Amino acid sequence: MTSAESTIEKVNKNLARRYRAEQRFRLYGILSVLFGLSCLVVLFTDIIGKGYKGFVSTEIYLTVDLSSDDLGISDPEVENAFMQADFEGAIKRALYARLDVTDRRAKRALNALISSGASYALRDQVKRQPELLDSSHGFWLLADDDVDTWYKSVDSKSPFTGRLSDEQLTWLQTLDFSGELRTALNTTFFTSGDSREPEMAGIMGAALGSFFTVLVTLLLSFPIGVAAAVYLEEYAPKNRWTDLIEVNINNLAAVPSIIFGLLGLAIFINFFEMPRSIPLVGGLVLTLMTLPTIIISSRAAIKAVPPSIREAALGLGASKMQMVMHHVLPLAMPGMLTGAIIGMAQALGETAPLLMIGMVAFVVDLPGGVMDAATALPVQIFLWADSPERAFVEKTSAAIMVLLGFLFLMNALAVWLRRRLERRW
Amino acid sequence: MDKLHLDRHISRQFNVELEALRTQLLEMGGLVEQQVTDAVASIESGDTALAEKVIVNEDRVDDFEIELDEQATLVLARRQPAASDLRLVLAVIKAVRDLERIGDEAQKVAKMAIALSGEGANRRGATELRHIGASVLTMMNQGLDAFARFDAEAALRVVEADESVDREYKTAIREMVTYMMEDPREISRVMNVLWALRALERIGDHVRNICEHVVYLVRGLDIRHISLDEAEAKILNQ
Amino acid sequence: MNISEHTAQAHADKTVGEPLVKNAKMSMRGVNVFYADKQAIYGVDLDIGRNEVIAMIGPSGCGKSTFLRCLNRMNDTIDICRVEGKLMLENQDIYDPSLDVVPLRARVGMVFQKPNPFPKSIYDNVAYGPRIHGLASRRTELDEIVETSLRKAGLWDEVKDRLHGPGTGLSGGQQQRLCIARTIAVSPEVILMDEPCSALDPIATAKIEELIAELSENYTIAIVTHSMQQAARVSHRTAYFHLGKLIEVNDTEKVFTNPDHDLTEAYITGRFG
Repeated sequence: MTSAESTIEKVNKNLARRYRAEQRFRLYGILSVLFGLSCLVVLFTDIIGKGYKGFVSTEIYLTVDLSSDDLGISDPEVENAFMQADFEGAIKRALYARLDVTDRRAKRALNALISSGASYALRDQVKRQPELLDSSHGFWLLADDDVDTWYKSVDSKSPFTGRLSDEQLTWLQTLDFSGELRTALNTTFFTSGDSREPEMAGIMGAALGSFFTVLVTLLLSFPIGVAAAVYLEEYAPKNRWTDLIEVNINNLAAVPSIIFGLLGLAIFINFFEMPRSIPLVGGLVLTLMTLPTIIISSRAAIKAVPPSIREAALGLGASKMQMVMHHVLPLAMPGMLTGAIIGMAQALGETAPLLMIGMVAFVVDLPGGVMDAATALPVQIFLWADSPERAFVEKTSAAIMVLLGFLFLMNALAVWLRRRLERRW
Repeated sequence: MDKLHLDRHISRQFNVELEALRTQLLEMGGLVEQQVTDAVASIESGDTALAEKVIVNEDRVDDFEIELDEQATLVLARRQPAASDLRLVLAVIKAVRDLERIGDEAQKVAKMAIALSGEGANRRGATELRHIGASVLTMMNQGLDAFARFDAEAALRVVEADESVDREYKTAIREMVTYMMEDPREISRVMNVLWALRALERIGDHVRNICEHVVYLVRGLDIRHISLDEAEAKILNQ
Repeated sequence: MNISEHTAQAHADKTVGEPLVKNAKMSMRGVNVFYADKQAIYGVDLDIGRNEVIAMIGPSGCGKSTFLRCLNRMNDTIDICRVEGKLMLENQDIYDPSLDVVPLRARVGMVFQKPNPFPKSIYDNVAYGPRIHGLASRRTELDEIVETSLRKAGLWDEVKDRLHGPGTGLSGGQQQRLCIARTIAVSPEVILMDEPCSALDPIATAKIEELIAELSENYTIAIVTHSMQQAARVSHRTAYFHLGKLIEVNDTEKVFTNPDHDLTEAYITGRFG
């Protein structure tokens, strides 16, 4: 070594700088992760903060006189006896009696406090328990959405009064002081379809719609996608045509989903004249959309099967199909399933193509199959977010939580399946 | 194949080891050749001092043998040589043994030289000794040369020369028997000459062995225990 | 000699030694193999004798593996690979277009470089071949085939207590013997081995070599190996490939003590470069 400094001295001189650069580099990484995490935290706090109230609803305690004569039920055994019975009148009478109101104008104002759905709930309960007839009982009845919104904010500095008049507020405070107002788990939200009245609106319809749509998508896209992937990987000759197909599949994965919606509108509804708004058409459209994802992930999974296993099978005299069925598919299955579930999650969260094929309709009834008009969870969220009523804000957030919950479950399922099925070699 | 390309291995260390084996063997050959030359000279001239030197130097030959055997074993263990490399190592191991025997025979000749020098000036058998001694020395020289140059043809010529040495030896024996019958008082002296002649003939045989190893090394052919004509035919057929 | 001289020599010469034998199990004549436009094997003539172990050696890329894989048409899986010439397994033309490769591969089995047991149980690994070929009609028959094959592969005593444990849980050498058991379970006539020991340690290698010697009593074996010592130890005849040409075929003793061709000599003594 002729220079004054030895190599090790030079190295030592640079060492501090190298460590600093190293630390800076790590810091950038940590900052990126923190940024992502904080966005997520903000999003979740916002949604959960708004949404958790959507899972509960406000109820008013009323003692209702269920005399058969007043209700108009001559014989409880007769069919439709309860359908025609005047439960609404009974509730109104109970309400007037509780708050001593006789004035017509005041009566109307008072009626607005109880949800129009309360009489149906009461009717159903009495129908289940006919022994309640001809006596007086206390019931917790669903309050109107304005009451609900006010009551949920009553403890804050400036309760949200909305359209409530001073008179109505006085009544409500009276009821509140005597413990005749409460919040209870909102079963309606989980069991019923959409409604114009926020307190009556539920996500069951949308969830069922989503379920049927995704079911159709899964049943169609998984077999088709796997078959296509197997053919392309194992059988297709490598020439210009298969290259073209490959490029097109990759491009298809990048096509905006609304285009698939237009395609579905043109083909399935206009050409094949299928009904609008049904999960079958939704599923078909989403199949088109998720196929590229499934094909690409399945091909990757098939490619990842070690060639030595294929050779071993072929070397023993297995035919190509035996090789694929006995060895390649079982080994590729975890990867394929993961791809499929991710595709399904994508389909579950998709809105745009469903808007195009009419799954954006206002559907009150729960869909019973793939041919019933339905809407889907993300579309329902879109609809509620668009509604003017203040009470729909919390419904929107609650629905988002449900959707996120489903997506989370599906991803967890994907991870679990991969762990469970993956075989090491 | 006349060249063995000992210097063409991917492993240079292997080149070095094989080359060392070869040069060491040639060095040993040089020493043994010198021993034979000195022994023959001492018996011709009756120079006992020279003969003593031969006897003393025999230890060096033995040292060479041990050293070379060790090296050859190392190469076998470390390199697992194949084909020409394997044949070289085998040829060296065998040639070392023959050289050591030649050294022993030279020592015997030297001992006879000392014995003969004490028995007066009557030097019957001296011509035969000189003659066969010269032939064996030439063979020795050419044999080592053939080894040094990996020259199978030259080696074959040495094998031929051994046949004529054997013939000369037989003639000399008859001559000696005649001497003993003519003058029984000379028997013990002539017996010593006979021993010396016998040693020289054995040296010739060992040189022949070495040359057969050279043919095996260069051509991969075994020409031991067959007639010269057959050996030549075998080499030509290859 | 430098590489270009080697090349010139390789292209000028015909195979030396004795590539052809009487009463051959497999005989190949004028075999040319192409990968697309590139020729990988040039006019190879070679016989493989009955119950003999023939070793194929040569530097990387010399075509020995390619040639081996022609013998049971494993090259069919490569689209761009084209084989010319006549390859016969006894009286059967291997490349007859009407021939089904499935029975061919049952007759000519293959063991690969990397031990590649299926990610299944040891039993299922061995039983796979007999199952797909329908060799056993009853469960007991299949059990018997599995046991005999594992015994022949010298693995029975080591695995008999865990036949239903995973095949991938065995050590490398055991896995390779499992692969051999799997191959002999369909009772092939010829076993091709493509560098079967290159991933194994010396002890496992010694066991496989011992197994090859035992198997050669009943099977014809062609083995490609990078280890010249292994070729010298296990084979009866040795074939040396160089740049796609079959340079020399001779008895193994001859090749390893006094090869006929300079290229063989240069290769086995480590003189390339």
